[in-house]
Amino acid sequence: MTPGLTQTWIRTLVVQASFNYDRLVGVGTAFAIEPLLRHLPGGADGNRFKGAMQRATQFFNAHPYMVGLAVGAVAKAEHEGLPDGAIRRLRHALIGPLGSIGDRLIWAGVLPASAGIGLVVTAVVSPVAGVLVFLGLFNGVHLALRTWALREGWRLGTGVSQALTARGIQRGLSLVGPVAALCVGLALPVVGSWLARGFTSWTQLSVAAVALVAIVFSRWIVPTFGGLRFGLAAAAIALVVGWAA
Amino acid sequence: MTTQIVLLLLWGTVVGLDLVSVGQSMFSRPLVAATVAGVVLGDPMAGATVGAILELFALDVLPIGAVRYPDYGVGAVAAAATAAHAPGALGTGIAVCVGLAVAYIGERGMRLVRLGNTADVRRFRNALDGGGVQAVVAIHTRGFFRDALRSLVVTALGLVLAFGVYRWSPVTLQGAVLVTVVVTGAALGSAAGGVMHAVGHGAGLRWFGFGLAGGLLWVVLT
Repeated sequence: MTPGLTQTWIRTLVVQASFNYDRLVGVGTAFAIEPLLRHLPGGADGNRFKGAMQRATQFFNAHPYMVGLAVGAVAKAEHEGLPDGAIRRLRHALIGPLGSIGDRLIWAGVLPASAGIGLVVTAVVSPVAGVLVFLGLFNGVHLALRTWALREGWRLGTGVSQALTARGIQRGLSLVGPVAALCVGLALPVVGSWLARGFTSWTQLSVAAVALVAIVFSRWIVPTFGGLRFGLAAAAIALVVGWAA
Repeated sequence: MTTQIVLLLLWGTVVGLDLVSVGQSMFSRPLVAATVAGVVLGDPMAGATVGAILELFALDVLPIGAVRYPDYGVGAVAAAATAAHAPGALGTGIAVCVGLAVAYIGERGMRLVRLGNTADVRRFRNALDGGGVQAVVAIHTRGFFRDALRSLVVTALGLVLAFGVYRWSPVTLQGAVLVTVVVTGAALGSAAGGVMHAVGHGAGLRWFGFGLAGGLLWVVLT
């Protein structure tokens, strides 16, 4: 990578540090793209640089690992001297796909798959091994994706949509959901058994019964309640009963 | 003891920043955060146990778009501090309760951070719209430090809560077992319900079923 790209890559790691309700990651994107814009004609004091930075700070959102595609493509478009309207349209056109693909690929795929495998290794081998496997699997994909995204964005410029329809991405999207479901499914009994080690049979049955109630509650009765709120409610009831016991 | 507290505060800050602001390299996942906190406290198994339970709760959350999500990482650090060196499974349930409460506080704190960032963006609007680099750097730097402060404060609150619960446990022996049973079951159920919700009714649900069957087979055979 060129020095500007390397600096931009590092800055994409903190792209969400200024996340706000007006422009979402717009300011963060501007922070990341700035090293690539310094070499525009006229330099960092020139009008082209200021115009590019002004556009870069506007409303924007994307999955943080995929944001490099937008940063690279927009920087390339700025260097090619595309008109203001075309660059704004390019930014807006990328918001939906980058969010959707990143969320499906990472948050609904690679993350639960890695966590499931990490949990199984924790239960079967050792906690430290589980953590290392989880971090290794997840960050192998994470860092590769960030690097690929920035390189492809910078290489393709306004043709960045080719990267989104690339065979690797499409194949990954079709595979990652079932793999995640398989890994979490595998992890639940293994981790449940590990967590219930040392429990009596009746206590283990009680854990299973609470789990069934939780599935019914979170899947069908109040699916929007969320694990945290369900956990807090269940814990509060148990604490009151436990305190009285 | 002082060294351990300082290390836990530092680790909690790193973990809180990793949630959104820096990297998102999943140091903030409860399994990681609690196990490392357990290592710091000399009881990695207690850390991993509460971390695994909180990880199951966290599997229910998809951190999509502008959604606020619980700060399970900082919660896991507090949970590990509560569970470390407690006898057997007795401390596990109470520790997870501490972790859930701190995760909720962290979630509320994240809203304050974002409101602060929004106020900065409005304050520097003219400079941003004039293409000013200094305004971008200022807003970004302030956002970073604001989140670091949130993480540090929530970690400190979590450690105070952990110390209080460890010192003056609110439940009896039987109660502690009951709480452990309930939070463990709730975590397993939340993870299963969350995944079933995410995969829908098609092939994903079948793969989830295959996984469950494989896991059950593993448990029966070993």
